Amino acid sequence: MSWFHAVRARLSLLSRRATESRMDDEIRFHIEMETQRLVREEQLDPIEARRRAFVAFGGVQEHKETLREGRGTAWLGSVSLDLKLGFRMLVKYPGLTVIGGLAMAFGIWFGAVTFHMFGLLSNTSLPLPDGERIVRIMYWDTKTVQDADPVLYDFQRWRSARSLTDFGAYRDASVNLTGASGSAQPAAAAEVTASAFRIAPARPLLGRVLDESDERAGAPPVVLLGHDLWTRAFEADSRIVGKSVQLGNGFATVVGVMPEGYAFPTSHELWLPFRTDVPAMEPRSGAAISVFGRLADGMTLETAQAELTSFGQRMAAEHPATHTTLQPRVLPYAMMSVPTGDTLPVMALTYVFIVLLVVVVCSTVALLLFARAASRESEILVRSALGASRGRIVGQLFAEALVLAGVATAAGLLAAQLALKVWGQPYMEMNYGRLPFWWDFDLSPLTIGYALALAVIGAVVAGVMPARKITRGLGTRMRAGTAGGGVVSFGGVWTAVIVTQVALTVMFPAAVMLVRSESQRIASYDMGFATEQYLGVALGIQGPPEGSSSSGADTALTRRLTTSVEALRRRLEAEPGVAGVTFVDRLPGDYHVSRRLEVASLPGKPAHWVETARIDPNYFSVLRVPGGGRVFSAADLSPNARVVIVDQGFVDLVMSGRDPIGHQVRIGSGQAADSVPARWPLYQIVGMVKNLGMSHLVERSRSPGVYLPLVPGSLGAVNMIVQAQGDPLLIAPRVRELATAVDPALRVEQMTRLDQVATPLLWFLGLWIRIIIGLSAVALLLSLSGIYAVLSYAVARRTREIGVRVALGASGRRVITSIFKRPLIQVTLGVLAGILLIAGAAIAIQQTQQFAGMKGRGLTFGEIGLLVGYGVLMLGVCTLACVVPTVRALRVQPTEALRAE
Amino acid sequence: MPPRPQTDALRGSLDLLVLKTLSLTPMHGWGISQRVQQISKGVLEVNQGSLYPALQRLEKDGLVTSDWDTTDNNRRARYYRLTVTGRRALGVELENWRRFAAGLEAVLRVP
Repeated sequence: MSWFHAVRARLSLLSRRATESRMDDEIRFHIEMETQRLVREEQLDPIEARRRAFVAFGGVQEHKETLREGRGTAWLGSVSLDLKLGFRMLVKYPGLTVIGGLAMAFGIWFGAVTFHMFGLLSNTSLPLPDGERIVRIMYWDTKTVQDADPVLYDFQRWRSARSLTDFGAYRDASVNLTGASGSAQPAAAAEVTASAFRIAPARPLLGRVLDESDERAGAPPVVLLGHDLWTRAFEADSRIVGKSVQLGNGFATVVGVMPEGYAFPTSHELWLPFRTDVPAMEPRSGAAISVFGRLADGMTLETAQAELTSFGQRMAAEHPATHTTLQPRVLPYAMMSVPTGDTLPVMALTYVFIVLLVVVVCSTVALLLFARAASRESEILVRSALGASRGRIVGQLFAEALVLAGVATAAGLLAAQLALKVWGQPYMEMNYGRLPFWWDFDLSPLTIGYALALAVIGAVVAGVMPARKITRGLGTRMRAGTAGGGVVSFGGVWTAVIVTQVALTVMFPAAVMLVRSESQRIASYDMGFATEQYLGVALGIQGPPEGSSSSGADTALTRRLTTSVEALRRRLEAEPGVAGVTFVDRLPGDYHVSRRLEVASLPGKPAHWVETARIDPNYFSVLRVPGGGRVFSAADLSPNARVVIVDQGFVDLVMSGRDPIGHQVRIGSGQAADSVPARWPLYQIVGMVKNLGMSHLVERSRSPGVYLPLVPGSLGAVNMIVQAQGDPLLIAPRVRELATAVDPALRVEQMTRLDQVATPLLWFLGLWIRIIIGLSAVALLLSLSGIYAVLSYAVARRTREIGVRVALGASGRRVITSIFKRPLIQVTLGVLAGILLIAGAAIAIQQTQQFAGMKGRGLTFGEIGLLVGYGVLMLGVCTLACVVPTVRALRVQPTEALRAE
Repeated sequence: MPPRPQTDALRGSLDLLVLKTLSLTPMHGWGISQRVQQISKGVLEVNQGSLYPALQRLEKDGLVTSDWDTTDNNRRARYYRLTVTGRRALGVELENWRRFAAGLEAVLRVP
């Protein structure tokens, strides 16, 4: 038990206030007892007795210090003192606090947001009971070197694995759910085995979850609803359980409603039973599925992997044609793909970049702190003379930087939380669609820890670097008696810091201009028709998952889609407010199918890549676009009528300006295997139109475009374009109603006004512009304050010298030149470095695919002139920081300067 | 040659004195200094201020433990008591001291 007493004693010593109080009480008791004894035994006067008691005790303060040192926590007291001083410095130097704090907060903010976003992608923890034991099983295909989804046959073979329990599977299904209002809406559905509700248990809000009996052949169709869907489609009807609801062209009975937030397996809002005991499944046939399970008691990821590997080897031996290259992988459930060797290096590189960014930012803050410390040099010399070691003084300056970093971290984390909710979540939704339920956009403890680590690194750079510089040669300076004037100077490191900072200040606005010009170019993309009058509607048909039905069933489904879209067209055309309806496979401004084309009637000309679009015969008339030649007719829809219409881009780039009407072209599939033009089918060009958005919004150059006729729906999902006689979005609800009325299985996936197709992309670019503007503002602020600090210090340090020069008759111009020559050289070097970096980046960007049209062009005279002018502007901006110190230098009076010595 | 101050002679054996005193009964700091002086009949006078760092050191090492208590005349004081480990350490220190004293005695007895 002695260890207990020892630990207890040590812990109690850590409570500083309590131990100080105890020490005072003990010593007071001792003095009083001794005083009483002296009064009693030696009949002394109480005052004399007390005096003698103190003498007998010895130096009270000295013994108290010994007790404090004995606690081993004296350093705590000095640290708390330094931190208090650090807070006082924040208040005393508000300019530095705001500028330095803002810069560090920006670095922390950027680091925290990036770290958290990367963490979402690499996070393997699940907010489920025993989440770390829930796994996903998928294939790694060694031939294609990528993931491959298992199919039902694999699931049936793996089910006997002993290392896993609650083995289950799901596949995504998009169903049209007809709500209480009668309108159908697509719902993110999962066909899932009942074990899913043991893996992710939750008490349903109403009714029950799916169970094994629902998966049996012949079981009545049932459905489980998610909370949000239930609220949206059925107005949170508490009597929904037991009711029959329409799903596409079928019906199912609602068995329950799940609580809010429940979205297992990923981001699902409706669950259907998944029948897995289908007999005689063929290897690698059927729809792709996702397989999950829980590690059995006593099993680890490694043992499960070993068992599944042996399964894979057995299946490869039994089915060499399909399974030789497939290797089962057991992964944490939250990992949605097999990690490749690239992931870790990319993440590591990003985190290193963030640390470097913080180091660069804090180096400039170090410059400001150095200037502040240099102005306190006499205070530091006095502290050193009183016995403070170099380490002690460095510790004090580090504590001041740590306080600044701490305040900046608090601000940075608050801003990071806001950014994640306001920008981060929409950004991820734009890239990934519906997000997995385990992605949490609240700052995690790991992210906060990372931000704190960045803060400590920043404080070390901003505090220790200048502290070591300022305390170098303290003893020598004391002996030389050079207190107050300061012989500390800004050396090579600070020159590098200023040059780097100015170069970054010059580069960032250029980056803003580049992104802004891209944004403006995309916003001004001319589709060739009045896009604000048209609504684009993506249409599909609900059926069994891809690959799971027979070819006969697929043909029937296609026929159903074509019939349904035609019926929808007729209904819409009869609507008031609708001026026209047409169809196309890809909307204008979207990516199109690229194919190889050779002009058969111009032999010797090389084959070109062209963008193709399949259109309804009335496409150009609905878009009100005239053209040369003729448009498609109903007769052109026959497979034998091989005709095409081309756009102006085709005329310019392929025909070199010749009239294309009547020419014959061969069009290949674009596949690598289809490389012999002589075998490509022959088409005749019958018409010509202007450019109508055959290139994607982000493409800088226009591609040649070729139109082919389409029976809407004959090739699967299709886009419908509706011309409205007002705001097209106003007819959107009516479109959905009519689609449900025509065919409940008809899925209306997305509706977009055609002039708003670029909106998500422009939002994304706008976000980057805002971030880079923020970076630019921080960089500019740091540069100006750094230059100001250096120059102010130079003027203060050389006040006497300036006074002497002026007294000896030097002109203002000579004084300024001597003082500011070095800082101006530093700024000029920084501006030049920034300009050269911009020029280099501009040339590098030209080499990318995006700018292929300008490849090898180099910079024009105009662009060089622009760069030079921009450099001069930035030089002028950076020298603004010199104004105040310059005025101060010019106002130095010789008599005052010499008297101040 | 002036006599060597008593505190110098005591510095190495203060811990031993404290442990021995506490082995008799738990005591507060002032009581320890008075007891030592009393038993040694005034020969050994503990430097009162140095007592407390010694008590702190012994407590950190787990040889003694302390708690607040009330004296006979109702005053609040911090009482120290020996722990089991402290009792064992006292035995070791006593043995060492006796061996040292015997050796010193043997040297001094030589004419």
